[in-house]
Amino acid sequence: MANRVQIRTSSSALIAMIADEDTITGFLLAGVGNVDLRRKTNYLIVDSKTTVKQIEDAFKEFTAREDIAIVLISQYVANMIRFLVDSYNKPIPAILEIPSKDHPYDPAHDSVLSRVKYLFSTESVASGRR
Amino acid sequence: MESSKNGRESNEVISEREENIINFLDSMDTYLILMDSLSSTLRQGWLELASARYSMGASRINSTLFDLKFHPASTTLQVNEQSAGPDRELPHFTLCKWASSSNPEKNFEEAKFGEDELLKIKSNNLQHQDTSQSSENQARSPESVGTPVTVDDQAQRERSKSLSMFGTLVSPKLRASQVSFETALEMVVEVSNMRASLLSAYDQAQKDMDTALK
Repeated sequence: MANRVQIRTSSSALIAMIADEDTITGFLLAGVGNVDLRRKTNYLIVDSKTTVKQIEDAFKEFTAREDIAIVLISQYVANMIRFLVDSYNKPIPAILEIPSKDHPYDPAHDSVLSRVKYLFSTESVASGRR
Repeated sequence: MESSKNGRESNEVISEREENIINFLDSMDTYLILMDSLSSTLRQGWLELASARYSMGASRINSTLFDLKFHPASTTLQVNEQSAGPDRELPHFTLCKWASSSNPEKNFEEAKFGEDELLKIKSNNLQHQDTSQSSENQARSPESVGTPVTVDDQAQRERSKSLSMFGTLVSPKLRASQVSFETALEMVVEVSNMRASLLSAYDQAQKDMDTALK
């Protein structure tokens, strides 16, 4: 009971995005764009001029906000801040790595699959045999 | 007697563990399949967006035209708790598409109710193919047609609003791209729910393994 994680319920939570321009354009067309009174958006467009620090700051901000339930991040962008993405383990917001136009989805780099592949690794098999 | 009871209990424990492992493998398989579908849908959306950009011009479809004035999202998520067993709760995401930006919560309820009514009418029309029965349905349906038509109109209004940031007259390819990304959004929600199930199944399988090793 002490280890039970509290799920934050919400009736109108947002989807945040850290991706390239085309992906964000598409999802904005689908109606997920949100701009608050302080002109803060729920997305960050990543291009050649975007620094790793900006991506890190956006990731930390989106994962700390209480009104965001899912963070979509292009996998190639997630690879730039892999240590941050892999160390994130809260249920909400859920982090989803999606492909981009130039970088197809690679299951080997997905943080969720990296976490669960331990069950198939030689380490887990070896520890069982000791 | 004691040993047979213990034997039966250990068989039950073993079958429960096997069930947990199977759940874990199933979740992983479904997650990968959903990610593959999401990739295909996104590829289609990007292609349609590129076609729209080609026909309308690159200056008419780019990030400088994004609406940066205050506006809430028309498509949001509802997050609930879902029980996955004793002492285990999972988040469950539900997509709420095209709620009015003026009053998202009220219109979510109306949209949900309207969608249910629309589904009922559609299933009635499919089941009753006789002209006499269908005419009865047609007579009945105007009573409930107010709400589904309102939901459709509202969804169309919100869609047009989203498209309007790229101008009044837009390429049909841009509209097609919008539909593809809407489908991608539905898949994103499914993937998120499957991700939560996968992580929960993994935790359970891990716990079983640790217990078995002790």
